[in-house]
Amino acid sequence: MTPLDQLLALSALTVVAVWLIGNRQVTGWNATILYAAQGVLLMMMSDLGYGEVQSIASSLTFKVLGHGLHWRFDGLSWFFALITIGAAFLASWFASGEWGQRYRAAGGSLRLFHVALALNVFSMLVLLASGDLLSLFIGWELVSWASFLIMALGSATATRYAMRYVTYAFAGAMAVLMALVMVYTRSGSFEFQDFRDAVPAMSSGSLWMIVILFVAGFGVKMALIPFHLWQAKAYAETPGPGAAFLGAISSRMGLFALVVVLVQLVGVERLADLQLVFPFFSARDLLSWLAVLTLIFATFTALRQHDARRLLAWHGIGQGGYMLLGVLIADDLGSAGGLMHVFNHATYQAVLFMTVTAVIHRTGTSDLNKLGGLVTRMPLSFVAMLIGIIGLAGLPPMNGFVSKWLLYRALIIDGSPLLFLGSVVGTLGTILSVYKLIHNTFLGQLRLEHVEVEEAPSSMIWPMMILSTIVFVTGYFPGLVLDWVASAQAAVGLPVLAHNLGGVPSHKGGLDMIWVVSVLLAGFGIGALVFFSGGRSKRVHQLDNYAGGHFLTAETRYQYSDNFYPGLMHLIGPWYRKSFRWLERGFVSTVDTLSQAMQGFYRVVHPSFYLLVAVVSALTWVVAR
Amino acid sequence: MSNELENIPIRQELEVLQSGQKRTNPLANVFDGLVKFCRSRSMFMLHYCTGCGAIELPPAMTSRFDMERLGIQPMVTPRQADILLITGYVSIKTLKRIILTYEQMGSPKYVIGICSCTVNGGMYWQSYATAKVLRDYLPVDVYIAGCMPRPEAVISGLRELMEDISSGRAESWKKYYQHYDYYLGNQQKLFGEDWQTPTDIIAEARHYDLMTEHTLGEHTALLEKHQKPLEALEMRLSVKDKQKV
Repeated sequence: MTPLDQLLALSALTVVAVWLIGNRQVTGWNATILYAAQGVLLMMMSDLGYGEVQSIASSLTFKVLGHGLHWRFDGLSWFFALITIGAAFLASWFASGEWGQRYRAAGGSLRLFHVALALNVFSMLVLLASGDLLSLFIGWELVSWASFLIMALGSATATRYAMRYVTYAFAGAMAVLMALVMVYTRSGSFEFQDFRDAVPAMSSGSLWMIVILFVAGFGVKMALIPFHLWQAKAYAETPGPGAAFLGAISSRMGLFALVVVLVQLVGVERLADLQLVFPFFSARDLLSWLAVLTLIFATFTALRQHDARRLLAWHGIGQGGYMLLGVLIADDLGSAGGLMHVFNHATYQAVLFMTVTAVIHRTGTSDLNKLGGLVTRMPLSFVAMLIGIIGLAGLPPMNGFVSKWLLYRALIIDGSPLLFLGSVVGTLGTILSVYKLIHNTFLGQLRLEHVEVEEAPSSMIWPMMILSTIVFVTGYFPGLVLDWVASAQAAVGLPVLAHNLGGVPSHKGGLDMIWVVSVLLAGFGIGALVFFSGGRSKRVHQLDNYAGGHFLTAETRYQYSDNFYPGLMHLIGPWYRKSFRWLERGFVSTVDTLSQAMQGFYRVVHPSFYLLVAVVSALTWVVAR
Repeated sequence: MSNELENIPIRQELEVLQSGQKRTNPLANVFDGLVKFCRSRSMFMLHYCTGCGAIELPPAMTSRFDMERLGIQPMVTPRQADILLITGYVSIKTLKRIILTYEQMGSPKYVIGICSCTVNGGMYWQSYATAKVLRDYLPVDVYIAGCMPRPEAVISGLRELMEDISSGRAESWKKYYQHYDYYLGNQQKLFGEDWQTPTDIIAEARHYDLMTEHTLGEHTALLEKHQKPLEALEMRLSVKDKQKV
């Protein structure tokens, strides 16, 4: 057995074991241990992550209709698998303690939850290991169904949006299947290598078709515009730790598949040759703009949400735009930024979903208009969220800054000022909305009903602390992650980023996070020195405050949280009010019109006339022969 | 009103009580001089206007007379402000807000009474609803009399305050701590004996080392009887695993 066999077998075993243990409190702990074991097996393959081994094959292969199916891991698969298993490990840990108790007491089945989680991990590993287009398709379908299972565990809203997802996913899978058929007719096999060899000979038209079909199929999972309408609500309503897992990695599977198809097989240069408007708008530009629009629209939609989970879920969609954009730039900096952002986003998105779940666990709500002032009651959760939002906003010293820096620099070098501007606008929206998140949850006035709230239990605090430590440490020493990113780049044939422990050395202005963060911390140190040597300070109560001289009471709210950013909303609100709804309705009515036309064609209107037409044309054909 | 409130001495002249310690380090005087200079040259006045005299402030602040060239500018919160301007008549309702705001300011803090109304009630002398003499309730550093004083007068009053600060004479904020019982007694007489503000002045007097035998008295005892203290929210860092659901 190769190490990959062992990993896949253990992952399958996890599903079975969790199922057998059943709906008990120990299920979660057992699952956590099994994920840890999977992590150990993955570490035994760490040669992949450091580029010392190109690929590790699975001994599982079989033939269907003469086409061999096989599975293998390369640097890219290993990188994504690391994130998957890490996210599952911490999400499962998070779910094992008090959260699981309450979930079970409220009538939820821990067996179902953990089976769904384990199934997700297994199917993702299968997808990541796919070695040819057919196994890619099989893995893709498994992932779709597994994520439907975990989404459907949530509330009625989540189930409704999960159903919507399934509709999209079916359509997407059909698109992928069609693309596979097109590839097969042109290359004669489902092997990656044969597809790659056949690409130069393909006509632009058929390559356009293949690219569009693949993007439509895999873009559903990534929630790329215009396939994004299902994701936010479905993820947000998934049971807490499940949402953390899905938000961290699930939709990145779409990115993985797109990287394999577009970058590894078709090649970004070939995409740039496919001109839509000669000579300045190619397929690559089209996809880049889709990515940037996804970023901007999703981020500014997140800004409008007043439910913390939906806000985060919309950000998950938006940040996907950065990753795709980075990969499409396809130079060493940009693709490293895009791939590194997958890791970074997974870490801070998971920790943010976890803190929000911890707040829900303690207060019963994630409505940003009904929270506030929790920092004195849940300080550790506050610190975790603070680190998470700094990462999400892409500011030093957290890891989100590094990937965004790489991306921006690549966009500037690439000579794409408008795309650069678009991503900066997206970052602006991110900063505004994460401020809203932490302000309305933890800062401001503590509500009377939350005075007795306690810090989250240790089973929740530990995963949150571990994740926020990762967010900080990989921001301080980005070289740790860039090692894996470099071998992932090498695995898909992208130029490899030259890097060191602190970041990117370059005589034209590199990035050394060790210096950046150290200077920042020194600044904080000086500030702390001034603060602590400045004599005694006096703490005052929140209500001992100034509001034009009024005597403040706890019954009246003075915190400004409802209708956040009204000025901005007044400006940008009309631009996209209900536009997503219109977009989807447009789709629905197009399909509806088509189906009605078809129905009218064969059922209602004048069958004898059609028969006559058919007979006449048949006769004409016969005569013409 | 209880009998205790009857016994407040009316209009007594209060002195700032100096502590006996002298600073021996020769550099300390240099440092103190520097601090006084800086304090007198960056005075932030609280943006809280009470009566008709406030109308003279915009011309004093803006380009015609331009107070900002002297380092005086408006500030929106009492925590960062140095000067409280009482610009005109003080109704009893307003006085409560003024005291609340004054107590929220960080020391050293200075009060300027503008217009005749703050000196002796002015044209509102006969009103049942105004507090006539401001310095019964707060220590006042500078009065600028007039009905209303022109911007030139306002600025000359502020310059006088600057002089007082840099020469160390403007120390009447200490009186509020040292004679708190007296001020509180006058306040209780006006507002009733259940009067209280969120700020714990006695604790602050201890904090600034300004406790004297006049700080505590029968009025503070009355205050303590019904005071509901507003404790600061402390951070709770304990992580507990409760097994009950």
